[in-house]
Amino acid sequence: MVNFFLLILIYTGIYSLMAIGQNVITGYAGMLSLCQAGFFAIGSYVTAILCVDCGWNFFATLPIAALLSALVGVLIGLPTLRLKGDYLAIATLGLGEIIRNVINNWDSLTNGPMGIQRIPKPSILGITINPYNKLGYLLMVVIFVLVFYLILKRLADSRMGRALEAIREDEIAAGSMGINVTKYKVFSFAIGAACAGVAGSLQTCFSLSVTPGTYTFMVSVMVLCMVVLGGMGNFKASILGAFLIQLISYFPQLVGLSNAFPAQVKQILFGLILIVMMIYRPQGIMGRSRRTYRWAGGKTKDSRFLARLAEKLKPGKSKEASK
Amino acid sequence: MGSVSEFFQHFLNGLTLGGIYALIALGYTMVYGILKFINFAHGDILMVGAYIGLFVFDFLRGSTPLGPWWFFAFLLAMICSMVACGLLGMFIEKIAYKPLRKATRLAPLLSAIGVSFVLSNTAAWVFGTQSRKLEYPFDNTPIVIGSGLNGVSVTPHQILVLCASAVMMIVLKLFVDKTRMGKAMRATSLDQDTSKLMGIKSDHVISLTFAIGSALAACGGMLIALDFKVYATMGTMVGLKAFVAAVVGGIGNISGAMLGGLLLGLLETFGVAVLGIPQGYKDAIAFGVLILILLFKPDGLLGKNEKEKV
Amino acid sequence: MKKAMIFVLIVLLAVPSILVAGGTGENGAKSVKIGFIGPMTGDNANYGVLCNQAVKLALSEINAAGGINGIQIELITEDSEGSVEKGLSAIEKLSSSDKIVALVGPVFTGISFAVGARCQDEGLVMVTPSATHKEITAIGDCVFRTVVSDGLQGEVAGAYFAQALGYRNIAVLYTKNDYSQGLYEGMKTSFEANGGKIGVVETCQVGDKDFKTQLTKIKAASPDAIYIPNYTAEMAQILEQASQLGMTIPFLSGDGFSNPDIYNLAGAFCDGVVYVAPTQVEESTAYVDFVNKYAATYGVKPDSFATNAYDATRIVADALATVYKNTGKFDRADVRDAVAATKDFPGVAGVVNFAENGDLIAYQGVYKVNGTTPEYLGAYSVIDGKLTKVN
Repeated sequence: MVNFFLLILIYTGIYSLMAIGQNVITGYAGMLSLCQAGFFAIGSYVTAILCVDCGWNFFATLPIAALLSALVGVLIGLPTLRLKGDYLAIATLGLGEIIRNVINNWDSLTNGPMGIQRIPKPSILGITINPYNKLGYLLMVVIFVLVFYLILKRLADSRMGRALEAIREDEIAAGSMGINVTKYKVFSFAIGAACAGVAGSLQTCFSLSVTPGTYTFMVSVMVLCMVVLGGMGNFKASILGAFLIQLISYFPQLVGLSNAFPAQVKQILFGLILIVMMIYRPQGIMGRSRRTYRWAGGKTKDSRFLARLAEKLKPGKSKEASK
Repeated sequence: MGSVSEFFQHFLNGLTLGGIYALIALGYTMVYGILKFINFAHGDILMVGAYIGLFVFDFLRGSTPLGPWWFFAFLLAMICSMVACGLLGMFIEKIAYKPLRKATRLAPLLSAIGVSFVLSNTAAWVFGTQSRKLEYPFDNTPIVIGSGLNGVSVTPHQILVLCASAVMMIVLKLFVDKTRMGKAMRATSLDQDTSKLMGIKSDHVISLTFAIGSALAACGGMLIALDFKVYATMGTMVGLKAFVAAVVGGIGNISGAMLGGLLLGLLETFGVAVLGIPQGYKDAIAFGVLILILLFKPDGLLGKNEKEKV
Repeated sequence: MKKAMIFVLIVLLAVPSILVAGGTGENGAKSVKIGFIGPMTGDNANYGVLCNQAVKLALSEINAAGGINGIQIELITEDSEGSVEKGLSAIEKLSSSDKIVALVGPVFTGISFAVGARCQDEGLVMVTPSATHKEITAIGDCVFRTVVSDGLQGEVAGAYFAQALGYRNIAVLYTKNDYSQGLYEGMKTSFEANGGKIGVVETCQVGDKDFKTQLTKIKAASPDAIYIPNYTAEMAQILEQASQLGMTIPFLSGDGFSNPDIYNLAGAFCDGVVYVAPTQVEESTAYVDFVNKYAATYGVKPDSFATNAYDATRIVADALATVYKNTGKFDRADVRDAVAATKDFPGVAGVVNFAENGDLIAYQGVYKVNGTTPEYLGAYSVIDGKLTKVN
């Protein structure tokens, strides 16, 4: 029971990584990408191949997994990111499927549909991390999520985050203000891909085997749902979304009722939740934490002006929200 | 690549595969043209239509032997299925999409994914997960031109699919271009608010668009099921490909959907058969073409070029 | 909002703990639990559902006959949805929450690898009715199967095609999934060792429905026969479309063809297909009784995997009975040993013996479809490279 709950938390952690990556792409830059499953797969296979064929340590494969995912993200991002809205969704969905197809058909490298088995357990400083020891593994996953959360939070609060938000709100206006739209879009795509790549590594290390059947486009849809359910543009919300969706997915098993009703009921319920959520609370559970420019001891005239402006706009904003 | 007959056989195979894509792409393009959102559930409505058609057809034909009655029963079943799916489409629109008309673009897309989940899993729950066979309502013995290894064969069903998509395209085009209702649809598509001011009941128009789109899906679903069988996830992949076809042709453009469908079918077949692209990357051909077309002609082959306004 | 959420979370966490606290203990109680993992939803759910029904049938018979000294065997079914991730969470739940003492399944190879490693770590015995990959039983001593490996099935298949049917050049159209590719590789090795040649090799993806491109290419190469070791959904399409293309080349297949669903889907197109699948016990009525009972209960006939699942369940139940008789409780290590000690078990698909590594020792049956009914041509084995008919 406790172990099963820990397992849900571990999956929550792995999916959280993907979700906060997706949040950079969708929540900040406003691009509807459905490709996280593809990057997840790349990360998984990089770790699996390097561990088994080259005898690398798991931790040494992590940066490679992140970098390669980011590289693929940039390569496919450059041509596709010029597309808008739904077109981008379909194109990225297609790319995710292509990555899975390549993995399934490139037998000499990925062992094709057989997958890669018997991946050694990871060890660091002489300590072997046994994924069957749930608590220890959870701790490792939590550390990863925390590190990525902090890095991305810093990035989002930097010039880059503001630039991405500007692009999301109005691409043409942002471009005319001197923001290099393509650069930032591709950059956000690469960051999102790298997060998913690391998540893939952690998944491989947890299941100690990889098969191409895992990385269907349902994974991408799930991750997108996590971001939306939690609330876009908010990293904490993405993590909450990941937890809630995992909890819903495993709820029947958790309460020991998976035997009582057919397996499809869970997914029907999941679909209904999505519809109801979109109708009654489309901004997600935690909403979007809009940036308000408060005066924080800034030195320039501009920052003081912005602070005053923000104060002025506030009551109007809240009135609008209560409408 | 061997003989001329093999080439023609590949050509025919590609053309009919394209006909299937075109058949579904028409419904997609219709809904997208008016509402500008991907109806992810289109493929699942197609599946529901195929199931309804299967049950009505099996009930009507009973244990009678294959004959003209079968074909008549098939048409009756198709009408039942189209009406039922039209109503289902309207119902789904009212429940899941209408409240979201003013929301962000993401909301209806996710809601549509939710609908798709509900439909396909309910079908798997109620009807089971095994495929079911929809019998051909006519003698489907292939017509062979030439003989032996040099023979090129085509089945009556393949001809039917191509004819059906062509007829559907023409009827749909006439409807949208020539009738009052079609005019109202085009107006709603251009600008919902203004068309409301002009006295067009845009809610009705959108509802009707969904009904027609879903009825088309049901018709397509039954024709496809003859070849591909009826099962709960039958609409997912073929629906996605059909959407790609609609975008390639120029989404919102009815003749474009037909062109895109045929092109996609031919490219997939010839890419594998002639260019020697490994079969595993067949899906990659479709999506590669999509990306290329969108890059060089963002509005598709036959789409109108709309400049983005600030 | 926040308070409400915290409340919901507390309820979510509290409910399971209450439910679990109310459940029965695992040992010395009125019931003992075994688990089943298989695809109950998704594209190939058909195979999981058929197996699950067989397990249920076996258990209902055993429980109706008094269970094990009055202790009922309870089945917990978990859905793998065909994915490793869900399979792992399923075994975690079965092992740590339900505290099962044995596992029947998983149904598919890829998931069996991940779940098998987990079972090995937990010391939990796992008997899969259908994971055919040759490496599965190499996971460890807790993994058994009541299906023969790809290697063995392929060996008999290749030898039969070359020696008995006299084919020299055959084409292959297989699906890029673990099952089909495994069978193809097994058959290829044996067929080539017998001097045959694999001409055209075409593949398809899971979920494909249109095979005309591949079939047109194969037709142009005019091989002696076509080997299609796939699941029913693909095979039905291939057979029908081949006939639409006017092809008259004979078809060969593997144990996936034993699924009776193929006759609903492909009907008359199945005529003449030769396939290799588990043997049947001809002289005993056990097999016929099982098929009749299964069909009467569920309205469909079992496939060979379901038959294997039925045997696997009875072997596990037998082991549980032995362990209980000897020790008075159900210890996982004892159950494993009891399963390993299975000897000449009278299964409905034949006598079951496990090899040292947990593989099933069995001959292979060859079938030829006559109209829409498979005709049993007998059991075969390859001895010193020579195809031999055995009894």
